[in-house]
Amino acid sequence: MTAIAPLLSDPYRQTFDAFMAQRCEPGFISRLRHAAFARFEMIGWPTRRQEAWRFTDLDAVQALNLSCPSDALLDAAALPALETPTHRLVFVNGRLVPGLSSVRGLPERAMVAGFSQILPDHSAFIEPVFDSLPGLQSHPFAALNTAFWEDGAFIYLPRTAVIEQPIHLVFYATGGDMAIYPRLLLLLEERAQATVVVEYRGQGRALNAPLAELQLGEGATLHYHQVQEESPQAFHLGGIRVQQFRASQTQLHLFSSGGQLARTDLEVLLDGEQAGCLVNGLTLGQENQTGDYHLRIDHAQPHGTSEQVFKSVLDGESRSVFDGMIHVRKHAQKTDARQTSRNLLLSRHAQAHANPRLEILADDVKCGHGSSTGFLDPDAEFYLRARGIPRDQARALLVHAFAKDSLTRIALTPLRERLDQVLATRLALDSLEGN
Amino acid sequence: MLEIRNLYATVEGREILNGINLIIRPGETHAIMGPNGSGKSTLANVIAGRDGYVVTDGEIRFDGKNLLEMDPETRACEGLFLAFQYPVEIPGVANLYFLKAAVNAVRKYRGESSVDAMDFWDLVHERMELVKMDESMLKRSVNEGFSGGEKKRNEVFQMAVLQPRFAVLDETDSGLDIDALKVVADGVNALRSPERGFLVITHYQRLLDYIVPDYVHVLVNGRIARSGGKELAVELEQQGYALYNEEPGRARRAT
Repeated sequence: MTAIAPLLSDPYRQTFDAFMAQRCEPGFISRLRHAAFARFEMIGWPTRRQEAWRFTDLDAVQALNLSCPSDALLDAAALPALETPTHRLVFVNGRLVPGLSSVRGLPERAMVAGFSQILPDHSAFIEPVFDSLPGLQSHPFAALNTAFWEDGAFIYLPRTAVIEQPIHLVFYATGGDMAIYPRLLLLLEERAQATVVVEYRGQGRALNAPLAELQLGEGATLHYHQVQEESPQAFHLGGIRVQQFRASQTQLHLFSSGGQLARTDLEVLLDGEQAGCLVNGLTLGQENQTGDYHLRIDHAQPHGTSEQVFKSVLDGESRSVFDGMIHVRKHAQKTDARQTSRNLLLSRHAQAHANPRLEILADDVKCGHGSSTGFLDPDAEFYLRARGIPRDQARALLVHAFAKDSLTRIALTPLRERLDQVLATRLALDSLEGN
Repeated sequence: MLEIRNLYATVEGREILNGINLIIRPGETHAIMGPNGSGKSTLANVIAGRDGYVVTDGEIRFDGKNLLEMDPETRACEGLFLAFQYPVEIPGVANLYFLKAAVNAVRKYRGESSVDAMDFWDLVHERMELVKMDESMLKRSVNEGFSGGEKKRNEVFQMAVLQPRFAVLDETDSGLDIDALKVVADGVNALRSPERGFLVITHYQRLLDYIVPDYVHVLVNGRIARSGGKELAVELEQQGYALYNEEPGRARRAT
């Protein structure tokens, strides 16, 4: 197969046409691709003159000569372990690898599968819900994803279905300047419950621009974890859109320690009374990494709750961006919405940008936000050292203390413990047993 | 074991210590008393090695070694302990975990293996009783939300676990009611031994009723203005520091 660049080759239109010439798929998918590409042409490549992209430097991405994904072999040993039993789908360069995937014992009518496996047979079921969620309408990479996606995960739970084991989705990129557009569509009907772990990993340089769509019916519960541990050369420009109906509850845990630029745009629409959403973010930055989050929580109905808690630990010349918007519509009385962003700088050259925003049109709400950025407390450091603990270990303990309540919020024990170990390794701490 | 010779120190460019001489031998407990601003806490912090306290002249030797060349953790590993006047709250670091890290750091420095979990637990329990500390405090974050008395007790508890050879108690009595003061003093007294030295810094004579010192020194304007036995503390309590405040500060030294 000749390498064609689905992005950035000039002109884009030819790239897209070449891509489409190879596709053989249901008509609705093609129509969505054309519409999305037309949208991308209208939106254009983002520039830093746009407020939403002011802190995101895309020059390095734009300079890449990106190629189409190709199949690659992956050793199962390279995959992160979660726990067994678990439902697992593994995608390499955006394509499902059935040999590394395993799903069994699902509740009746439930589905956890790759689109490539189910689209031919279930296209009538998927058509009305695919790319149907609101949000990220003017996001260029969401549009590119819809135009160029090849495969991804489809998760469907009928009403009252509960999947106890976590659903583990691993998206692995093998580098080679590929542009990869993984897709996820998750539908939970009334009172369904699921725990999902989405992991982005890889080696070498690639552009990974996933798009996840999550929809929760009345009273449904979702614990969603995004773990971004891509290679230090990788670019991650992802989108998540969430629609929640009455009394549904989401926890979105976003952990990021990889990539040279890792940005996630998240839009949550609380579209029913008493819907609630927790967004818990932890970013670890070092060297010249940028960890970048743009959130919009849209309270459309009364009695909704939302909490955004974002932390970053920044060493070297790394940067974090937190741009968080709470939007409360006029009708959404008794909304309780909170947002905090706390950043710990370990070096004089690290930077944290926090941009908390509130747009409140209702008059009977509780909304609050806070933001802080600072260095390690020298008094605490001295206190630990005065008890014999070496300087580096003292600093690592304090960093861990700062970051760990982000992990404490993760109920999924094996993942929490693994991320704690990632943190401990990053901090060169031998053991955190007992703390 | 601790020899301070002709010690001069500045904080933020201000001269605080102006030529201190003090020798403390194993088994001795010395008290330093003095009015506010006389340099008591500066002396404690210089001994412990805190940043921002600049020694401009003189030396401190600890068992013959040059203490001022060591970083704070090395001093602690050599057997020095500072009970802080204002113990720092460290959210997110559990007391027990912190103690174990400290014990293991000292053991590593001495070339010993990490402490056995059961032995450590036994030691901690025994020492907790010494300062009448509740077990729940072990799981809490270091000093977080502790009352003033709990913080000071935690300092003495840490000292009891770490078993230093020389301890500086920086106004450990401040903010304590009489019951808490007795508990803290009992804890300190239990650790007194022929091998261990103490330097007790206090503003008030009250503490010295319970921790009876061998020597008392009066610190004024960064110098020891007078030294004597324990009866000197009583005299100070009666007469106050007014006598000493008349003494003019020492001339600035060229550095």
